[in-house]
Amino acid sequence: MHDLIRDLRDQNVLLVHPRERSADELLQQVNRIGCSFDHVWPLPRSLPDKSDIVFIDVTDHSAAELKTFLDRKDRPVTVIAIVGYENPSMLNVILEIGAHSVLMKPVRAAGVLSSMIVARRFRTEQARFEKDLSKLREKLDNVQKVNDAKFILMRHRGITERDAYDLIRKQAMAKRTTTTEIAQSIINAETILRDL
Amino acid sequence: MPDNAAWKIGLLFSTSGVTSIIERSQLNGALLAIDQINSRGGVLGRKLEAISYDPGSIVPRYGELAEKLILEDKVSVIFGCYMSSSRKEVLPVVERRNALFFYPTLYEGFEYSPNVIYGGACPSQNSVPLANYLMGNYGHRIFFVGSNYIYPHESNRVMRNVLRQGGGEVVGERYFDLQARESDFRNVVEEIMEARPDAIFSTVVGQACIEFYRAYHAAGGDGRTCPIASLTTNEGEIAAIGAEASVGHITAAPYFRSVNSPANRRFLKAYGDKFGSTSDVTSCCEATYSQVHLFAKALEETGEMDTDNLREALLGATFDAPQGQIKIDPDNNHTYLQSRIAIVDEQGEFVVDLKVRRALKPDPYLVFPAIHDWSFRTDKVAASGSRNA
Repeated sequence: MHDLIRDLRDQNVLLVHPRERSADELLQQVNRIGCSFDHVWPLPRSLPDKSDIVFIDVTDHSAAELKTFLDRKDRPVTVIAIVGYENPSMLNVILEIGAHSVLMKPVRAAGVLSSMIVARRFRTEQARFEKDLSKLREKLDNVQKVNDAKFILMRHRGITERDAYDLIRKQAMAKRTTTTEIAQSIINAETILRDL
Repeated sequence: MPDNAAWKIGLLFSTSGVTSIIERSQLNGALLAIDQINSRGGVLGRKLEAISYDPGSIVPRYGELAEKLILEDKVSVIFGCYMSSSRKEVLPVVERRNALFFYPTLYEGFEYSPNVIYGGACPSQNSVPLANYLMGNYGHRIFFVGSNYIYPHESNRVMRNVLRQGGGEVVGERYFDLQARESDFRNVVEEIMEARPDAIFSTVVGQACIEFYRAYHAAGGDGRTCPIASLTTNEGEIAAIGAEASVGHITAAPYFRSVNSPANRRFLKAYGDKFGSTSDVTSCCEATYSQVHLFAKALEETGEMDTDNLREALLGATFDAPQGQIKIDPDNNHTYLQSRIAIVDEQGEFVVDLKVRRALKPDPYLVFPAIHDWSFRTDKVAASGSRNA
């Protein structure tokens, strides 16, 4: 069984929506599903700390307002947009705020659970991809630095690429630091020497 | 409509086809309750009139006939269905027409519709007591056999998880067509004999259930040493399988015919008087009977067939059912039910061995029932003559 289904009842749900029929239907279904929930309206200034999944009525607010409210750099939340219309400007808001799933008004009980699961999946995958991407970027950067440093050493010492790399690695071990750090130092030194 | 016109209600139970044994017992439960209500003067002076169709155990027919009941017969309250697949056909029809649908059958959970009142158990109400019972009394190695549709798959998922929590192990898992015959089960029975599990968990339903128990018996399987445990096999099917092939097998359900209570004695007496015998009284029959009574009580309150008003009157309603007191949970339209475990004796009658202390709250969206949840704790039922077994 997928973790997202297993952990579902640990999720804190926040509904940002006027308190009317659709809101009641949704809260009752969230209660049946077994998640704890809160309701707020109008749109508060900031997102409560404990919210994991946010259902938000996007009808009466600009994408900018909604984004300010939803953007949590430290702990991204799962966002499910509740929409009354499917016109292009509404669709644009859904994309702008990065909603992970959408529910149509009037909200029915059936579909809420699938929507929560799919939205959480997109959110967690997105977070994982972003993390992987920044790791890869860093790694690529490091490889580039070590390469630059190797070429500097090859040029100054007249040694092979293999020997240049060994030199960098030995320095890193002796100074208890990374090959990237040593490479950066070599590049810095080269720049200074060249400018003298 | 004249003041004394009957209240019309629709019944959708198959009296032919693969699930007709159980659905006929549900139909009888409804007809008995209607009789009882009419014999005391109906509801607010008007009789209940049942319009009944036989979908022939053919899944799409349930949806078509629900539509016919609503459009042609002008019915807005329907009782019916056994298999989940047939309920799924009726569901969009009653939602579109805003009718009220009573579903008197255990099912796999994970559904809520404002137009449905669920009268049977969901897995949390019967799987946990059964898993505890099997592991406590027989052992930890369980073989799964089921019919190939949604209920057995989901039911097995729940059971597998509950077993694992208690250190149990699933040693095999096989699924069969609803039309499977005794000969189709020969291979799996052989496999069971080789695997030598401590018990078999069966979610084989309908006619195939009878065929499976027979195949197990024919190959030398004995319920007294390695029982088939089920949530669905009931009195009607045991009668068809026969006492000799059924002895020792186990079922967990809210109700058994042998429950010893004044409400159940009255129910069985009335059933016997009307149908000549109580041999096909089952938990689904009892659930249908109770749901018709709950409906009549609600109608008494609303005085009209308006779906929204009826629902309001039904949510939270209680009934002194043959199984004990039941209550419709206003949170989810499902029903607080008793949970019992019974073993078939030499005469082919279920003898209740354990029951939970109080009616269990339905939790249709529970992904993993916890094996040690206090509410699932059961008490030994001292003797078959004990009060409220």
